[in-house]
Amino acid sequence: PRLLAKEVHLNVTDLGLGYQTKEELIFRYCSGPCVEAETNYDKILNNLTHNKKLDKDTPSRTCCRPISFDDDLSFLDDNVVYHTLKKHSARKCGCV
Amino acid sequence: LEGATGLYFPQSEYVETVYVGQLAGTPILQVHAMLDSDSERPRFYLCGINSLRRPAHSSWFNLDVNTGILSLNKTLEESDFAMLNRHSWPVKKLVLHAMVLPNLTKKSQCIKHSPRVTLDFVNASLPHCAQTDMKELCFSHRDTAIPHIMENRFPGALRQLRRLTRLHVCPNYTISYHVESDTPAPFAVDENTTELVVTAALDREESERYRLLLVCTVRTETLITKVETSLDVFVNDEDDNAPYVNGTDTADIIISFNRTKGGSFGTLFIFDRDLTPIFPIDQTHNRYVGTLLNKDPWIKETFDIKGSFSEMKAALGGIRETVHVYQLVLKRNLYVTENRTLQLDYLVNDITYPGLEGTVSLHFNVTILPVHMRFANITHMFTLTRRASLYAQVGRVCVENCQQFDGFRVTYRLELPDKNASADVQSCYSAISITQAEDEMWGLLYVNDTEALRRPECQDLQYLVVAQEEHTLLEASTQIHIILDAQANKASQGSQQSLSCAENRQRGDCESVRGLGATTGRCQWRQVTEKGISENYSTCSPDLRTCPDSFCDAVESKDSSICPQDCTKKSVIGGHERGLRNGIQAGHGTCYCISEKCFCEKEDVEEVICDDMCKTVIATA
Repeated sequence: PRLLAKEVHLNVTDLGLGYQTKEELIFRYCSGPCVEAETNYDKILNNLTHNKKLDKDTPSRTCCRPISFDDDLSFLDDNVVYHTLKKHSARKCGCV
Repeated sequence: LEGATGLYFPQSEYVETVYVGQLAGTPILQVHAMLDSDSERPRFYLCGINSLRRPAHSSWFNLDVNTGILSLNKTLEESDFAMLNRHSWPVKKLVLHAMVLPNLTKKSQCIKHSPRVTLDFVNASLPHCAQTDMKELCFSHRDTAIPHIMENRFPGALRQLRRLTRLHVCPNYTISYHVESDTPAPFAVDENTTELVVTAALDREESERYRLLLVCTVRTETLITKVETSLDVFVNDEDDNAPYVNGTDTADIIISFNRTKGGSFGTLFIFDRDLTPIFPIDQTHNRYVGTLLNKDPWIKETFDIKGSFSEMKAALGGIRETVHVYQLVLKRNLYVTENRTLQLDYLVNDITYPGLEGTVSLHFNVTILPVHMRFANITHMFTLTRRASLYAQVGRVCVENCQQFDGFRVTYRLELPDKNASADVQSCYSAISITQAEDEMWGLLYVNDTEALRRPECQDLQYLVVAQEEHTLLEASTQIHIILDAQANKASQGSQQSLSCAENRQRGDCESVRGLGATTGRCQWRQVTEKGISENYSTCSPDLRTCPDSFCDAVESKDSSICPQDCTKKSVIGGHERGLRNGIQAGHGTCYCISEKCFCEKEDVEEVICDDMCKTVIATA
């Protein structure tokens, strides 16, 4: 199944970026299992890790990430200064 | 020529309502023209605003050529309304244009500023007396036209107060008007004609606006009713005041360090009690023409006078007037050697002022002083540790008053004081170099060769700094002395690679590494606990005196990893405000940069603060 971005309605202050404003936004994020997209490479990595053949290394596995982003978000802060967030919210997700 | 006459309409729009069933010959409204003299006889005409065919309804109306009374040519029928009204709206707007000329004419094309006459054609018959509100009997609620009267003109009637369409609606009523105002105002009502009359020539410089109260008295057999409405009458300006100087007409100007093209000097004011409109752009009302009286070609190619004007309100009475400002402007960069005294005379002429005294002359006494380039008479000593990294800033030099220089450029170079020194000694001198930003007057000294710096045989360094002006090649020089700490640190002598300080996200890491540009050899940490996005964000820097200071200086711009906080051109991730040119102006929490890419983020790990509970635990332990 295609991975869908989930969305949540937030205040800009919830993003924790330090901006002080009363503006809000719809934040979309990617989450979900990526088992179906795995290849032999992933299986081998899985086995090697499980059998402790790879010392301390834990190579990254397939995961659900944005493959494209929403449009920029501009907002006015409490000191009447404009800010623009780029690449802050997912438009499309994929197993990469 | 039409422009030769002063005849004009005091208002730009007339509004009235017409009804089905109104008979041919019924008067609707009266237009008025203001006169230049008692002998003038204005002639009124309906006109078309363009050469296209005039609307069908224009033949229904007649404008009396002598009185300016607009009346019906035909009885208005329901079929007339139906013919015009394809949209079945309850009211149809009929638009006519009127013009006034001092003589009889056959022209039908409108002249400039012809007022619009708007008639609301209602698909109903004129209301009877019983259905008519007293207010509507006296004044039209739709009429919002504001009269404007030229100053210094002949007095006369400016507006018909009676609603001519309602003259016979209530035959038993007697309606009369009079005018009141808080301050004395030259306005009255002609009782015979019920016209509002201006009784004297007006002066805008005395009053720009009259606030009138029009009072309508309606008498019936049993009742007297008064209805009031306010009317503002504005006075239009003409150029009837000469320019004058309030205070001085002479500016004494000394040009020394600022010699740049476009630089402006001295300020002289000319006042004019008249207004200077800025729209439309092509008009000449109260415009000034200035002439530089000097014939000297050197002056003409070097100086210009820049004039601008603005409107202000007089302290007394609050009447608007014009202030003209004149400044001397350099048309070219002056050389540092140029040295002379001169006087510029500038004649300002108010070309539309009809009197004789419409000119004012201004004088600029100019002294151009040459710029003497020299260093301050002090010993330039800098201390430097041998552990300093490549691009560490040692100090900066500048000739006297360099911060005020504009219009010429001074560049700096380092020379050896003794050119016959041995090759060994000479090789030590590669340790330090000097650089300068394109738009900066300071010369920045920085470490150019760390190996030379660390060699024990390279003792304290002495250089000659030479400053040179680019056009005249004038030079000044001073000796600088760089004192190195006694011992070269063996440990730091290896070819340990210097990294960018900005990569470090934590105090511990930051202070234990060598970084590019570090003056002490080690990076420095700036810890800030301010909340939100602050100019004082936490960060790791090679030298907190120069980085971050929101300015990418000449040394920092040599390598993007010296101080990316000030110099980065890439977009910053996390809460931040961008600097005016490059770099980070303010950041959230800690800002760090990997190569040129910078991140600002607040660490989630709260600093362990010992609260009351914790203190109790420690105390009891």
